[in-house]
Amino acid sequence: MDLLIVQIFLLSFNNSRLNILIALVIAGLLVFYFIREAKKKGALYLRPISGLTAIEEAVGRATEMGKAVLYTTGLGKMERVATIASMNILGNVARKVASYGTPLIIPCYDPVVMAVAQEVVKESFAKEGKSEAYRPENIYFVTQSQFGYAAAVDGVMVREKPAANLFLGTFEAESLILAETGNSIGAIQIAGTDSTIQLSFFIVACDYTLIGEELFAASGYLSGDPKITGSIKAQDWLKIFITLAIILGVIFSTMGLDFWSNLFSLK
Amino acid sequence: MRREVIYILIVAAITVPLFLPLGLKQRITPEVEKFYQTVEELPAGSSVIVSFDFEASTVAETKPIAYAVLRQLFSKNVSVISLSMLAEGTGLGYDFLTKITQEYNKKYGEDYVFLGFRPQYQATILGLGEDFSRVFPRDYLGNGLSSLQLTQKVKNYADVAMIISIADGDLPQYWVDYAQTRYQKKVLAAVTAVMATTYYPYLSSGQFSGLVGGLKGAAEYELLLGQPGLGSKGMEAQSLGHILIILLIIVGNLTLLAKRNK
Amino acid sequence: MPLRLPLLVVSISALFMLVQFFVKANFLDSAYQEVLDWVQIIYLFTLWVGALNLIKLHAKKTQDKRQAFYSLVTLAGILLMLIFGLSGGKATGSAFNWVFENVQVPLQATMFSLLAFFVASAAYRGFRARSGEAFILLAVASLVMLGRVPIGNLISERIPDLANWILNFPSMAARRGILIGIGLGTVATALRIILGIERTYLGK
Repeated sequence: MDLLIVQIFLLSFNNSRLNILIALVIAGLLVFYFIREAKKKGALYLRPISGLTAIEEAVGRATEMGKAVLYTTGLGKMERVATIASMNILGNVARKVASYGTPLIIPCYDPVVMAVAQEVVKESFAKEGKSEAYRPENIYFVTQSQFGYAAAVDGVMVREKPAANLFLGTFEAESLILAETGNSIGAIQIAGTDSTIQLSFFIVACDYTLIGEELFAASGYLSGDPKITGSIKAQDWLKIFITLAIILGVIFSTMGLDFWSNLFSLK
Repeated sequence: MRREVIYILIVAAITVPLFLPLGLKQRITPEVEKFYQTVEELPAGSSVIVSFDFEASTVAETKPIAYAVLRQLFSKNVSVISLSMLAEGTGLGYDFLTKITQEYNKKYGEDYVFLGFRPQYQATILGLGEDFSRVFPRDYLGNGLSSLQLTQKVKNYADVAMIISIADGDLPQYWVDYAQTRYQKKVLAAVTAVMATTYYPYLSSGQFSGLVGGLKGAAEYELLLGQPGLGSKGMEAQSLGHILIILLIIVGNLTLLAKRNK
Repeated sequence: MPLRLPLLVVSISALFMLVQFFVKANFLDSAYQEVLDWVQIIYLFTLWVGALNLIKLHAKKTQDKRQAFYSLVTLAGILLMLIFGLSGGKATGSAFNWVFENVQVPLQATMFSLLAFFVASAAYRGFRARSGEAFILLAVASLVMLGRVPIGNLISERIPDLANWILNFPSMAARRGILIGIGLGTVATALRIILGIERTYLGK
């Protein structure tokens, strides 16, 4: 029966996607291996990420000033990896604000993200033993219109004057509008996004910026969970393999040999 | 320098050329040339998907781009099946389409169809690859797809030559990730200036068969078409705006130098 | 059980999508089409979650004198557009379309146009050559800004060529590097979700 299943699989396998399957298997094996290594050795070393260490400072500043912390996950829906990474950081931020008693305001672009954010914050408050301090009305859906959302968040910033703004997630053109408004009210600003364009705006207008993968590494960095640090290590090794593949590709292509680049092409 | 002074200077730099044209000439960039040529090579009678993936906020950039793209397509008698992945782009896209089709006397249902809007980009893009009528049983005007001449013969990606995404966000990337990777469909992107630099790697790797970026891209496209429009007009204002920003950077750095010397 | 069930649903769904991507079979294609249809349907229900939350929040705010006015405007807007859309449709010439074209579009375009002012003030405040690298960054940025407008060509024909070269080579190379990193992060996160290691989407 097993042999039959394998035979059916091989007969119906889409050969044009073999290279993708091989890449996926390599990535999966590396992730497995490093998660096992991390469990054996404890959490693996991750270099300090200044944006994440600054979050503690930002929350502390807000508490001293008696002002709120504004947290936004941007325009991403829940299936976006940047939004998932942002939720990981939110859990950590929510624990800090719960322990300090600082208000946390989270205007949301997507209703599902709002629901998840409410759960994350509620659980964080419960872990700190401050369930009664949890305010679901501070985590609310605004609109799914990009600039309507930007206008709403700007309005919150100008009215509530939060001492710290955390922009972590997927952002598009509204990033500079948010960052500049936050700058004008004198808030400390920490940003992180997977958009390479908006990174430039955040770097100029914010105090700390998480660049590219630093946002994804945040969950492992903050939790120290071996399963997550292991997969981050696997990513680093995958990058090494890709770099080697690129170098080989450059050499072979320069010599006029196409076989290497053909291995990676989609037929 | 106070923010308000900077804002006033920007208003002046952008509005003056709208009343006093400077008569500046455009140069065509290779990526716009490539986009134009790719569309130009389409045989008459072929079909193309045009997706209006933008919101109302970027209409100042996307309108000139959309007009130029649609004009080229209809002048070549290419059939257009259009849709939108964003709710706001639906009404705007339909308005743009209606305006340009009137210029070329195109008939709805035969020369062009507007499918409408569907949320959930991945599901929509993947679903269209199999069967348009499964994702859009009815078009934007409520007609069944089986009742329209164009959609009777053009049923999925196999029947279209290419996909053009006119976008202000990352939707062109979704078209590449799903339509091109899975169905090997040619994808062209016409995007706002701020998004254009994101897509140069895609253009270089051949995942995009052309890239029109921002008002400048629209102005170049209009030049290639021989029909100057909103893009060409806006470039003069943008020119002065860029010069002003460079001057502000220089002034800012001179101020910093002066403070250091003190 | 409360946690295991969603994890199981995610793992099975993800494995199905993976198998379906690599294996050609009619029954898999049909199942895949069904999944896509259901994704659309489920997404539409999630919009209700947001709409109801918005209405609930603003209905509560109408009881506070300071915030009542803007909340009333929000609720009136929701109600009016619902009435216009349901009674008159959304075609060109309808009330719904009129409000969209004469209120929504100008408001959105206005917000977007704020970027022009903010870019200028951010550039003046933030682009300072505090180091050698920052100076190079500024010089290159100025070159690209000039090269992307007709004035650059007026000053020298080399400026647009240089700007294009910068966009097509060094800038693209840097962007590609970040994109590869983000792509790998996406793959690793997706694998963690499939394996049940990453549970943030459940609020855990």
